Amino acid sequence: MTSTDTGSTTGVRGPVTRARRSARSVLSVRSVRRVPGAVLVLAGALSPWASVVLPGGAYPDLATLHLFDAPHLVTGFRLHLVLLGLAALLPRAARPAGAGVLIIAFVHTAFLAALGAVSFGGPVALAGGALLVWQGRREPAPRWPLPGRAVVWPALAAAFAGLLWLVSATLTAGGQSRATNPHGGAEFLAFLGFAVALLGILSAYGVLAWLSALAERHRTFSVAVLLGCAMLLPLTGAGTGYWMTVASTIGVYAATAIGLNIVVGLAGLLDLGYVAFLGIGAFTAANLAHTVPFPVAALAGAVAAGLLGVVVGAPTLRVRGDYLAIVTLAFGEIFFRAAQNDLGGLTGGANSIPGIPPITLFGQAFDRPVGALPAGFLYYALTVLMVAGAMAVLANLKHSRTGRAWLAISADEDVARAMGVHTGRAKILAFLVGATLAGLAGAVFAHKLGTVGYESFDFSESVTLLAAVILGGMGTVPGAVVGASLLFVLPEKLREFSDYRLMLFGLALILIMRLRPKGLVSS
Amino acid sequence: MATLAQQLVNGLVLGALIGLIALGYTMVYGIVQLINFAHGEVFMAGAFGAHFAYLRLLPAGTPWYLALPVMTGAAVAVSVAVAVAMERWAYRPLRGAHKLAPLITALGVSILLQEVVRVFYPGATAPLAFPRAFAGGSLTLGPVLVLWTGVLAVVVAPLLATGLHLYVERSRLGRAMRATAQDPDTARLMGIDPDRVVLATFVIGAVLAGAGAVLYGVHYTQIDTAIGFQNGIFAFTAAVLGGIGSIRGAMLGALCIGLVKSLAGQYAWGGAQYDYVWVFVLLILVLMFRPQGFLGRPEGVRA
Repeated sequence: MTSTDTGSTTGVRGPVTRARRSARSVLSVRSVRRVPGAVLVLAGALSPWASVVLPGGAYPDLATLHLFDAPHLVTGFRLHLVLLGLAALLPRAARPAGAGVLIIAFVHTAFLAALGAVSFGGPVALAGGALLVWQGRREPAPRWPLPGRAVVWPALAAAFAGLLWLVSATLTAGGQSRATNPHGGAEFLAFLGFAVALLGILSAYGVLAWLSALAERHRTFSVAVLLGCAMLLPLTGAGTGYWMTVASTIGVYAATAIGLNIVVGLAGLLDLGYVAFLGIGAFTAANLAHTVPFPVAALAGAVAAGLLGVVVGAPTLRVRGDYLAIVTLAFGEIFFRAAQNDLGGLTGGANSIPGIPPITLFGQAFDRPVGALPAGFLYYALTVLMVAGAMAVLANLKHSRTGRAWLAISADEDVARAMGVHTGRAKILAFLVGATLAGLAGAVFAHKLGTVGYESFDFSESVTLLAAVILGGMGTVPGAVVGASLLFVLPEKLREFSDYRLMLFGLALILIMRLRPKGLVSS
Repeated sequence: MATLAQQLVNGLVLGALIGLIALGYTMVYGIVQLINFAHGEVFMAGAFGAHFAYLRLLPAGTPWYLALPVMTGAAVAVSVAVAVAMERWAYRPLRGAHKLAPLITALGVSILLQEVVRVFYPGATAPLAFPRAFAGGSLTLGPVLVLWTGVLAVVVAPLLATGLHLYVERSRLGRAMRATAQDPDTARLMGIDPDRVVLATFVIGAVLAGAGAVLYGVHYTQIDTAIGFQNGIFAFTAAVLGGIGSIRGAMLGALCIGLVKSLAGQYAWGGAQYDYVWVFVLLILVLMFRPQGFLGRPEGVRA
């Protein structure tokens, strides 16, 4: 609105307006406006947060109950608030920083209120965050020129190191055991708010776009560095057996989500029973686990899932759109019922299949520690490689002839056919590739857990996978990984809300569709 | 022979109940092309509303013929409130968004409603007992035993469906609905407010689902938070089977689903554990070989 207004007046007094505007930004009336919000945030961060000493030790950091006792020693979420409050003084950072402050302050204030403690710092920080969001302007991010090679490699390496830190810190935020830290869930959510704010600020300054353009141009280098960073995760604070197990579970679901991304994101075929492919891979590998080595079992799982994929994909030749979604839902339910009733004695029914041995290669069992590395590192490394492989498959397919055919089909199937795309073959191929990936992930899943039961493959899992793809951004390469990480790490982190877990999940689906229907990583 | 007749009757009753839910699916899809996954939850919420009315609003020992209308009223009120809220807050803002967005939202609404009831309704973590109408009396037709509640369902459901059919065919709002279903843009040019029509569609679907919920409860005498999803899927299957957008089709499809489920549970391979599976096999076959359903028109090219 404002842009059209100035556009219509430029003819009359354009130069004057422009001069006045630039003068205003130099005199920084606007930046002065940001100050009260930032000050409120800082004051909130440094004020005492809880009115009483809470059970389960001082909450969450010792400094919580003290007023200005050692401002330079603030830690935890208060440190994050201080950092965000300072960052809010930057012209473009006010909005994202304010949003982060709102999340952090809201989570902790609500948590304290639930514990029956009055919070002093909370409302102040909330007010500051709201002020920042209200006054911050949404401006298009600046574009930066791409630099030469001398700058590129260090820049990318630093970016990926930062990413590694962020992943490790997010994973370990709030601690692993609810017994030692009863406030873990709140701390984790608050940290998520901080991470969101950081990414938001970087994106507001065009840094994220710049980095992704760089990574796109220097693909091989960035893939290598990213892989290296992923392999370094065990050396960070997340390097315990517990976090390795959590991370490799996320990896399994991420690989599955990438497979689904091929079907839904690229080819536009909505699949509501996708977890069946993971299931068939898992059950196949579980049945073969005692007779053949892992690579053979994994291959068998992938092939079985691929075949099922073709069967499920066959109706796409005749059925479209929402109806196809229902057909896939039907296949998923049939698989679930068959597994539940122990069809052919292959799934163990209600008893599930117990005692699946861990993967063993070259005499090394994957659930044992290697050298100084924690137990579970090998599974983690395996899933990282699997996810990387799946991402490579997705990226290559996306830019291939087949990928273009899929995109054409998802845009308009009739036009695609008219342009000479073999739509039937392409659609079945999408199901075949996606299902094979899921089957492979299923084989790893079975060995990693040591037991496979039908409950792991019910409709809500399919919905979660689909939500992961959509949350991450359909058809994007990193999107499915981001989405799967979020959706499968949240329940792990929010155990004390386990009763409300699904409820919040449903609410989150609605809100995401409302606020960011294109996903977090939109292409 | 007696078993066959009994299963036919059971299937008929189930079909009548599913039909009432299927009508909501078929109406909404016919007008906004949205698979409203949460419609099953509207049904479920209605059942809990009726349960609440019976336990909390009515004095203990109220005879069923007085309780039934009150429970139906409560069920319909709750269903309508839920449906209006979801249309207003979840679906309306997404009109014109990416085509998958409303579907995902519907899944979210479905999960949310199920969980809200499970967590906040006292005792809903386990199945709840529902009062039976007619004091459990039954009609004996030779070897076949039909509970009076089943008779009620089989009588009421077609009546409601016929009423809906007449309403859509004859009334002013019904004409607006058909116009909107055919071409929303032209309908708007003709002075029809699509928002109102869509809201009315949700309300009508919810009224039928609420009525169906009470009939379901008094017949099966047990409700839990999963009845919405399970019967919702049956109902959607029925709506597709009959040809989505068609009221008669929905009832016909529901009848088929009811019969297939009860007969397959008795006679087909795998027995009752696989009755659910046969419904889906039927669905897949129908969609592959007659995607427009029994009574639907073949779908032309549509963006």
